Amino acid sequence: MQNPIFNQVWWIIGLPLIGFLIQCFFGKNVIEALGPAKGKRVMGTLAVLAIAGSFGIGVAIIQALAELPPHDRGVIQTGLDWIRIAGIRIPFELRIDPLSMTMVMVITGIGSLIHLYATGYMAEEKDYPRFFAYLNLFVAFMLMLVLGNNLALLFIGWEGVGLCSYLLIGFWYKDFANSIAANKAFIVNRIGDVGLALGMFLIVALLAKEGIADQRYLSYDVIFKALPGIIEREPMMATAIALCLFVGACGKSAQFPLYLWLPDAMAGPTPVSALIHAATMVTAGVVLLTRMQIVFIASPIASAIVVIVGLFTAIFAALIAFGQTDIKKVLAYSTVSQLGFMFIACGVGAYWVGMFHVITHAFFKALLFLGSGAVIHAMAHDQDMRNYGKLQKYIPITCATMVIGWIAIAGIPLTSGWFSKEEILHEALFSHQAMLGGFNVGLAAGWIGFVAALLTAIYMTRMMMLTFWGGQERWRLIPAKNHEDHHGHDKHHAHAHHEDHGPDEHAFFMTDEEMAAQPHEHEHHHELDENHKPHEVPVSMWFPLVVLALFSAGSGLWLKGHEWFGSVPKNRLENWLVEHPHEAHHGTIKYGELVPILGMWIGVAGLILGALWYMRGLPKSEGWDLARWNPLRRAAGNQFGYDAAMMNAGIEGGGTLATWLWKVVDSKVIDGAVNGIGGLLSGVSKGYGWLQSGYTRGYALMMLAGCAGLLGWIVYAINNMGGKG
Amino acid sequence: MIPILSWLIFIPLIGALALAVLPDDRKDLARGTALVTTILTFGLSIILFSKFNGETFKFQFVEKIPWIEKFGISYHLGVDGISIWLVMLTTFLMVISVWFSRYVNQKVKAYMALLLLLESAMLGVFLSLDLILFFVFFEATLVPMYFLINIWGGERRAYAALKFFLFTAAGSILMLVGMVMLAWIHQQQFGSMTFDLVQLQSSIAQGEFWTGFLHLQAIVFWFFMLAFLVKMPMFPFHTWLPDAHVEAPTAGSIILAGVLLKMGTYGILRFIMPLFPDVIGQFVLPVMILAVIGILYGGIVAAVQPDVKKLVAYSSVAHMGFVVLGIFSLTQTGIQGGAIQQLNHGVSTGALFLMIGLIYERRHTRMFKDFGGLKAQMPIYAMLFLIIMLSSVGLPGTNGFIGEFLALMGAFQAGFAGMNGLTVVLPAIAATGVIVAAVYLLIMFKDMFYGPNNNSENQRLKDIKPWEVAMIAPFIILIFWGGLQPAVFFERMDASLNAARLMATTPAGERPNWSEKAHEISAEGNLVVGEATSFPDIPETHFATEGHH
Repeated sequence: MQNPIFNQVWWIIGLPLIGFLIQCFFGKNVIEALGPAKGKRVMGTLAVLAIAGSFGIGVAIIQALAELPPHDRGVIQTGLDWIRIAGIRIPFELRIDPLSMTMVMVITGIGSLIHLYATGYMAEEKDYPRFFAYLNLFVAFMLMLVLGNNLALLFIGWEGVGLCSYLLIGFWYKDFANSIAANKAFIVNRIGDVGLALGMFLIVALLAKEGIADQRYLSYDVIFKALPGIIEREPMMATAIALCLFVGACGKSAQFPLYLWLPDAMAGPTPVSALIHAATMVTAGVVLLTRMQIVFIASPIASAIVVIVGLFTAIFAALIAFGQTDIKKVLAYSTVSQLGFMFIACGVGAYWVGMFHVITHAFFKALLFLGSGAVIHAMAHDQDMRNYGKLQKYIPITCATMVIGWIAIAGIPLTSGWFSKEEILHEALFSHQAMLGGFNVGLAAGWIGFVAALLTAIYMTRMMMLTFWGGQERWRLIPAKNHEDHHGHDKHHAHAHHEDHGPDEHAFFMTDEEMAAQPHEHEHHHELDENHKPHEVPVSMWFPLVVLALFSAGSGLWLKGHEWFGSVPKNRLENWLVEHPHEAHHGTIKYGELVPILGMWIGVAGLILGALWYMRGLPKSEGWDLARWNPLRRAAGNQFGYDAAMMNAGIEGGGTLATWLWKVVDSKVIDGAVNGIGGLLSGVSKGYGWLQSGYTRGYALMMLAGCAGLLGWIVYAINNMGGKG
Repeated sequence: MIPILSWLIFIPLIGALALAVLPDDRKDLARGTALVTTILTFGLSIILFSKFNGETFKFQFVEKIPWIEKFGISYHLGVDGISIWLVMLTTFLMVISVWFSRYVNQKVKAYMALLLLLESAMLGVFLSLDLILFFVFFEATLVPMYFLINIWGGERRAYAALKFFLFTAAGSILMLVGMVMLAWIHQQQFGSMTFDLVQLQSSIAQGEFWTGFLHLQAIVFWFFMLAFLVKMPMFPFHTWLPDAHVEAPTAGSIILAGVLLKMGTYGILRFIMPLFPDVIGQFVLPVMILAVIGILYGGIVAAVQPDVKKLVAYSSVAHMGFVVLGIFSLTQTGIQGGAIQQLNHGVSTGALFLMIGLIYERRHTRMFKDFGGLKAQMPIYAMLFLIIMLSSVGLPGTNGFIGEFLALMGAFQAGFAGMNGLTVVLPAIAATGVIVAAVYLLIMFKDMFYGPNNNSENQRLKDIKPWEVAMIAPFIILIFWGGLQPAVFFERMDASLNAARLMATTPAGERPNWSEKAHEISAEGNLVVGEATSFPDIPETHFATEGHH
């Protein structure tokens, strides 16, 4: 008999959704009724509770799931049908299995911490309920994405999280730059979504052609049963499906060539960057690949492409990170780079390792982002690391927790990042999955991956050193700012002129009195100046940092285990996620014994190198004056020109094409032909003159005459036809 | 006792006549009369809907009165799973249009009367089962719309109205020729003329109609198709649409986008598929190519429009492209996707024009350069606009997604199976249209609602009024209903759409026949021939009241 707790899985999605509705419909009223301070506390608490509640249910379900024997750990809960037509059936159905529940734990666990943090971070925000409405909605969609038992539900979640990402990046919409970044995120993601949709269409077409009786063509259980036989006959189809799905994954998980929305997405509030653009949404691509691994495993070529893209992205983004001065941008590129690592793992067939890195990365990257938020909070919303320095003195808790995140991502032994990253490189070196024309891409990726790991350690050390240590408190030394930055603000000040449309009979506009009664928004900008004194963040903000720091430090050991700690259970995560964990790796590679040693020391080496380089603070070659930068670093800062080229092609090129189509094809070619034909009928051209003079009444008569003529002609034509017969 | 379908057509007509006798200066009375008339019609359509049987593909509530017997023309009405939804869409959008038209202050009486005449004509189009009757209604929609644009329109209204009239009239003249050719062929084959759709289809289903006249089938196909392509409109016959939309008053735009364009796609489902089964396959590819061009072209051109209304007008070209893409895939999924997409386009685009109308009434401009930052000024308006915009983007969970997704899926399936010379290339290109849709719609939203609010006129704007929110609310409900539980819509269309597909794709003799009592469509979408169908016989003349006692 099935454990009744599984029926409660709907609430995992339901609670955040209810939270969203509460924020939507009651948020403003509650804050008005209770006053800003108390109202915000109530709404913030509700938002956190919605996610924490989901987490609680998730814990209960994952425990019940763990009690089942491994081969039974795939419980499906079916609800109403979503789409049911002759030809395909797509029900609302949720899948409770190790993969989905692991993600539920990550999303709701880290999600509640970030929500809690956000209650503090956004405390000054006027649009408080709107923020938490979007955030709750995001969690609901993300849970739908991982829990759905078919690709269509995944797609609802997939585009839904994209929507929330769009709304949250553009949360401070009054600045056009933010809404442009939001649009960019949505549109670039849509490119990926088309790939994913095509993959789904391909699966449906294949299964429909096969005549599978169960028409739930997009449901995982149907796919997993029917697809292997088909792709065994037609291996090309595996590659085709895999590549389509991978395009989708590249969009959502910000892999080259579609990564370019993620750095811009940092325009959103920092908790958003932590939750959506680091810990959860961007890992959806890895989840998709893990979920649909049967097609990737069947296609060594597709796997090789996954590895190549992942590896290239890992290195490329790491290099770009060296040229960044914005603390959040460093973390953004680092996220892109780490996602590359996860794809390497997937490409070499070690899907559980990819998930392992998803989990550990979620901890330490959420921690680093939230930490950076605390730094930004302390530094009057300045994000430029060149203006930081020696902050350790002022914000010690933030600093201490971020140090944990830093050594975890750098891969210092026994931290979570070390376990997962080392496992990725290890698996890559020993795998035979990703083959491209007889060449083992995985092996190459394993070795080159060490370089990426080294780069990671160095640029993260750069970020930490520039922020917390170094010679001076550099915000006291900022060169005088160019005052041209501030033009344009006062230009449009309340011109009291009215356009004359007569009296406002529908009361569309506010009267002068109502205008005067409008609350004036004083957006007091506390600018960073030499007298600034950074303050540590409130407890609602540092508490999540501490929890995340604990997990960043310990989760690797807990999930993987190590022979140094004899009593700790080993391979906990692998046994949980993989139904038949394979035994030891077979096959050896040259210098194989060097791998663990290299893996151990590479992070340490990066740390030392970085520390030595940035110990004295900001080098002149990376200072405020960009002209003094090393050209290579400057190029890295500009993403090596890639973003500019793409945006130029997209906006300028697309705009030119569109205008040409409109002004030339539409107006000249098509309408020209039409007017030409019309011009032949002189009556029509006379009519033109007529109507422009506005004699509508006369024209109406002409129209009526025309209609009468038409009807007469019909009768005549019919009569003629009839007469013949 | 007048049967229900005739009531549907005549109530608005009666309303229009009533308006004619009202005194000129009673504007509120005119508005009230029109609103009551449309609400009555809408109510009647709900009654019709509640009595409608979605399990059969046959015509229901049929009325047939001989008209010009010599030529086999009759007053023949009926409703099936395809038309019932368009009837509902029409009556619903008419209520909204008349409701919104409170804002019209000039020649109110004439305006309302024209709207009601238009409603009559549109319902006639969807209910006619006789070719000539259909044609008369089809043409009759032009006249009120022409005057709506020409009298209450914007600056270039005369040009736009004429262009609208000439384009669609030119297209439909050929259709009339095609109709006469059909009747003539019927006379050659069976000795008597008929313009009766059911009769024509019956002989076509049995394969007797076109024997010996196969060479004419392609010509007649294109005569009909051209009229529908102009109406939808499909590239390159679309240039009348942006002009007509820009100049039309708001109610005109809602109806134009919501209903009039659907007459094109409805025509394909109602006439093209049943009547030209032997040639439709060979024209799938050219029509699909036009559809794909329309999807991309409409979207790309939309992205650079300076006028919100023009942007939405071009987006219609793209959205209707998906409808044709789905229908012409001739697959189950595709046709159902296309059919639902036309309804959803009516809802989403109708709602978009309504929203634009609301801001236009306030600001008397629709230029992007005059807007920006409205979100802070009008938060409720912005939120509703956002939802409608997302439905137009085709976000999963909204109605816009279902149609596009299934239409593309169907086209992809057809391409994958190599049906009618298709490959997966065309649907794959069409799929990129959803990227373009995101581009122009997000740009639109950004330019109107985001950024600083610098325009001093806009700074004085109040949020929309409660009754305006109430007017938009049904659209929002339909957007989510259609997105989350489309089954309600599909259930009543399935049989008719599958019948249409089988009529177009199966060989003569195996085609469903509207007048064959033994024919039914199974839940899997196949033709079932049996003596005992599970449905009570549908009488030839089926009166609303008598039929259910």
